[in-house]
Amino acid sequence: MTMTTEAPLREPEVVTAEWRPRIVAFLCNWCSYTGADLAGISRIQWDPSVSIVRVMCSGRMDPTFVAKAFSMGADGVIISGCHPGDCHYQEGNYKTLRRVHLLKRLVAGFGIDPDRLELVWVSASEGDQWAETANEMAARIRILGPLEVGS
Amino acid sequence: MAENGEPRVGVYVCHCGFNIAATVDVEAVRDEAATRPNVVVARDYQFMCSNAGQDLIKQDIEEKGVNRVVVAACSPLMHEPTFRAAAEEADLNPYLVQIANIREQCAWVHDDRQAATTKAEQLVNGAVGRVALHEPLDPMYAEMNPATLVVGGGIAGIQAALSISEAGNDVYLVERKSTIGGMMAKFDKTFPTLDCAACILTPKMVSADRRDNLHLMTMCEVESVEGFVGNFKVKVRQKARFVTDACTSCGECLNVCPVNVPDPFNEYVSTRHAIHKAFPQAIPSTYVIEKQGSPPCMEACPIHQNAAGYVALIADGRFEEAAKLIRKRNPLPFVCGRVCYHPCETACSRGKVDDPVAIRGLKRLAMDWEREHIPDPEPPPAKHDHGEKVAIIGSGPAGLTCAFDLAQEGYKVTVFEKHNKLGGMLAVGLPDYRCPPEIVERDLDYIRKTGVEFRTEVELGVDFKLADLLSDKPEFGYGAVFMALGAHRGLQLRVPGEEAEGVILGIDYLREINLGRPQPTGKKVAVIGGGNTAMDVARTARRQGADVSILYRRTADEMPADLEEVEGAIAEGVHFDYLVSPLEVVVENGKVTGLRCINNELAEPDETGRARPIPIEGSEHIREFDMIIPSVSQQPFRTWFKGGVPEKGEIGFTKWDTLIVEPDSLQTGLPGVFGGGDVVLGPASIVEAMGQGRRAAEAIDKYLRGRPLENFETHVAPPDPVRGFVKRPYEHGPTYDQIEKMPRARLEARDPATRLADYDAVDFGLTEEEGIREASRCLHCGVCVECHSCENVCPPDAVRLDMKDEIVELEVGQILISTGFKSFDATRMTPYGYGRYDNVVTSTEFERMLNSTGPTGGQILCKNGKPPRSVAIVHCVGSRDENYNRYCSRVCCMAALKFAHLVKDRTDAELYEFYIDMRAFGKGYEEFYLRVLDEGANVIRGKVVEVMPAKNATNGDGHLVVRAEDTLIGRFREIPVDMVVLMGAIEPQPDAEQVGRVFSLSRSPDGFFLERHPKLDPIGTTTDGVYLAGCAQGPKDIPDTVAQAQAAAADILGMISKGEVTIEPVRATVQEHLCGGCKTCLGLCPYTAITFDEEHNNAVINQALCKGCGTCVAACPAAAITGAGFTDEQILAELDGILAPIASGPMQSGAIPEGVAT
Repeated sequence: MTMTTEAPLREPEVVTAEWRPRIVAFLCNWCSYTGADLAGISRIQWDPSVSIVRVMCSGRMDPTFVAKAFSMGADGVIISGCHPGDCHYQEGNYKTLRRVHLLKRLVAGFGIDPDRLELVWVSASEGDQWAETANEMAARIRILGPLEVGS
Repeated sequence: MAENGEPRVGVYVCHCGFNIAATVDVEAVRDEAATRPNVVVARDYQFMCSNAGQDLIKQDIEEKGVNRVVVAACSPLMHEPTFRAAAEEADLNPYLVQIANIREQCAWVHDDRQAATTKAEQLVNGAVGRVALHEPLDPMYAEMNPATLVVGGGIAGIQAALSISEAGNDVYLVERKSTIGGMMAKFDKTFPTLDCAACILTPKMVSADRRDNLHLMTMCEVESVEGFVGNFKVKVRQKARFVTDACTSCGECLNVCPVNVPDPFNEYVSTRHAIHKAFPQAIPSTYVIEKQGSPPCMEACPIHQNAAGYVALIADGRFEEAAKLIRKRNPLPFVCGRVCYHPCETACSRGKVDDPVAIRGLKRLAMDWEREHIPDPEPPPAKHDHGEKVAIIGSGPAGLTCAFDLAQEGYKVTVFEKHNKLGGMLAVGLPDYRCPPEIVERDLDYIRKTGVEFRTEVELGVDFKLADLLSDKPEFGYGAVFMALGAHRGLQLRVPGEEAEGVILGIDYLREINLGRPQPTGKKVAVIGGGNTAMDVARTARRQGADVSILYRRTADEMPADLEEVEGAIAEGVHFDYLVSPLEVVVENGKVTGLRCINNELAEPDETGRARPIPIEGSEHIREFDMIIPSVSQQPFRTWFKGGVPEKGEIGFTKWDTLIVEPDSLQTGLPGVFGGGDVVLGPASIVEAMGQGRRAAEAIDKYLRGRPLENFETHVAPPDPVRGFVKRPYEHGPTYDQIEKMPRARLEARDPATRLADYDAVDFGLTEEEGIREASRCLHCGVCVECHSCENVCPPDAVRLDMKDEIVELEVGQILISTGFKSFDATRMTPYGYGRYDNVVTSTEFERMLNSTGPTGGQILCKNGKPPRSVAIVHCVGSRDENYNRYCSRVCCMAALKFAHLVKDRTDAELYEFYIDMRAFGKGYEEFYLRVLDEGANVIRGKVVEVMPAKNATNGDGHLVVRAEDTLIGRFREIPVDMVVLMGAIEPQPDAEQVGRVFSLSRSPDGFFLERHPKLDPIGTTTDGVYLAGCAQGPKDIPDTVAQAQAAAADILGMISKGEVTIEPVRATVQEHLCGGCKTCLGLCPYTAITFDEEHNNAVINQALCKGCGTCVAACPAAAITGAGFTDEQILAELDGILAPIASGPMQSGAIPEGVAT
């Protein structure tokens, strides 16, 4: 497993030097939230523009949460759960996978670049993986720029 | 209580010393929080988790009427329970507390102070928004089942199981091997005290065995786990041991087991038998048979003949036992030893090395041996004494097998045969040179001794009718009938001229000759067909002095006859004409003079997979013959049956005139009347007919005993028999390409010229020496060859070869995972030459060598049997190595020093340790290191580059040179040694991923199971009620393993004495008035907690089954399902708080002005 902790973080910001994207990440309690905690314990740095909301299972992800997040001002949304087969609730992450496929098409219909929505699997031991995910998403959103939501 | 009134939020921002305060401006976070709606008090404090910090919260609840609490501190996975308890102490419902994780997910991962502060403010805002909507929840409680499951019976599992059971609780200790003891049982001494490993381990193993409430479950694996802490339901697969508890461990079986395979317990250095005990002190002491399915030869045989069994006995020179074993399953062993088409050999795995074992020849040898040494073998007595009579029509292989089986079962059997000779096709269809009459007679004699009565020259439809047999007439009165009529009607060519003199059907020709009736044979004979009958006819006609040609419409490749029959025919001078079809028999004066033929070419294969012959236009020609013998196929006669026309509800026939029977029971349309053999199969083989005879016997027994005709146990050979393992004959065996080639024995044949003069057998059997050698080619597929030798000698009758795996269900409250580790596969480290050089050994092999129960009885010996003059011990093989494992395996340095001491102690060898860093970290370890140095071990700091054979070494003496850099003197060194010991890494078990899934465990990047917290909870896991101990969690030595096991036992006992478990009240509920009854949620719940109330047309969630994942909450289109603790409103409020603009933060473009959202 490679450790890419600094590269995306040092990337020059695209829009303005001051602009910091706002990214909301929904993490399942058992794998991904614990994984993000592990990144903290291991002091693996990740982009501060990502804020985490804890849910018990990625299967709890109501599509409304994503839509509301964008409408409330999020520039990007990450959903993260256990790896397929590892779900603490057996198969919640498969439900999420299905929903995210649909959601990506849905947000595109609203004029939102589907790349602003990311689904990843991060296990409790993958602190570095989480940091990499957060950094990559932040770098991607910097390139995409602020999300302008029509009223 | 204020909790139901307007929300009054208290915010407490923790400095965590410098942990948070160094990166986050906690005062700014506090001030920002104070501006948020509902916040009545905002404070910051050095350590919120301290008593003083908690008192702040309690005080505010009591004095300022705070009824919602937000603590901005470390992860909720750390201190949420602490702050909830504090709230509860101040009479506030604990679920009205929310944690903002500003340490692990903020302060520790960001270095930009301003950005971290802004983010902390956002997280606090989210928590404040959310907590205002929190509802008081009541925690749920469940009873703690005191029974505990321990998975893995190494020292960790044994230790924990002893401690937990000592306190009076039931413990199930599940171990997949046949004994507990784990890796420690393989060791000789332990460092640094040099205690004898067995002396300190075996007393614990014995106590584990003795204790009533400690249930040892060896040869078991956990298949699935359901439920939650306090109430797990576990399914365990109990693998068949094939030996019952009655075993007294006397070891008689070891004297008779003919199979030797590499011994996994001794690292494959020595061998052991199929029936074995891992080591002398194994617990349980019950022996075990290693049996990985049935051997393919046995599977392929329609009568499930124990081919591998008698082959193994022959290899041991035990011919009498071999013959006995053959007879156990085979009523026609002499016949099968000569004319079986041997599907066993086709399936034989030896064919993947060179050629299949000559199984048929070996059977013939065993039976010939019996004929010579035991002139009058007696069948075993019948198992029962049933009164019923059974009639069998036809004395061919099917009829004889059915008769034999039923007679042995205790029925009175009468066989009706229309010819004057018994044996069916064996007697009238096979020429004597293939199946000598005295051979058939010997098999018949044995069957007669079981009490079967034979009546010859009585024909169905002529001398008696089917209905007679089942009638009450005194001479009949049979309870059941088995129709084994065979297929004796030859098929004609359907070409003009077939009625002429000189045309005779092949099957008729053979019958006439076999029955000794005069049968003129022409001078120039054409045999039409390519099956075994055509070969038999051609070779018989040769013996009658004719010039014989076989005409076949396809080529030699498509010909269905057995290869040895074709070869025999060619050797005897039979001509083969391929790609020829007859068109017309040329007749002059009513006699045959020739055959008009046409040539064929082959087209694409048809649906049977055989290439279709297409006539070539204009290739018609006439060949001169004075006799034509069509031998294309046979069908059963059905003239016995009312002129051959069945009525509804009676016996039915197919369009090929074969009998219609139920596929499993072989019962015809008439109850009590069964059919099998060629009359059902069409022209098939002897052993296939025997297989049907055996199945019919089972069906008839069931029928007569009034049992349903189902759940048959007699074997059915699969069309493509399972060939065991693809690459090797059994799991830990050598691969096929590693096995030395050895030519297959060939049966000596008589000179073709002399054999044409008579009908005597064409080949001779194998000699005993040839047979023993041929039998030794068997690879013992699946290890146990089912020779039943152990069963026969076992004094307490403890062997049960038919034992099956069972699933055992357990209910336990907690689970300890102590599944141990796997040693590094040293063949991966190519430069060190393991597997190529004899005297390069792994540390585990060396442990076994040192052990008094090991392959050398504790002596340190090179492969040539001499003690080494110098030994190199190489550290860090596969550990601390970027190419394999980055981690340190921790125990190898000390184990290597232990080896050094033992080498010095037991030999005069010079000793070299090659190390990177010497890690002597434990109590007494450094002292031990110094002691070993004093004993004269040479330690060289540097990694070994390669191990290679010494230049002056002659082939076989195995001298080696170790090349390494000595980093302390800065020089490259080459050290000659006789033996190299590789200290392999400790690696996770190969199935750790699967085990992790069964128990919902995470794994760290190195593959070991992940503990709940690396510092504060190295025993727990993220799954409540599941604990870790030993090397399953990471490499560790025996003292650390035992300590961790004791700690896990303490945690488990603590939970047991508490008696109940608190379950988070995070559960989903249906608001019935909102539910539209769409049933979307029903299929989503993995716990089937959701049912549908048809009467009220709404979904209902069983709170006891719900685990609170929230998948249904997210899916409900009517938002009728609420997830307590994680409601839509709470999550959206948190979102709103996180995304709301921060007064003090940098200007955020893209943020929506306050008040717009929701």
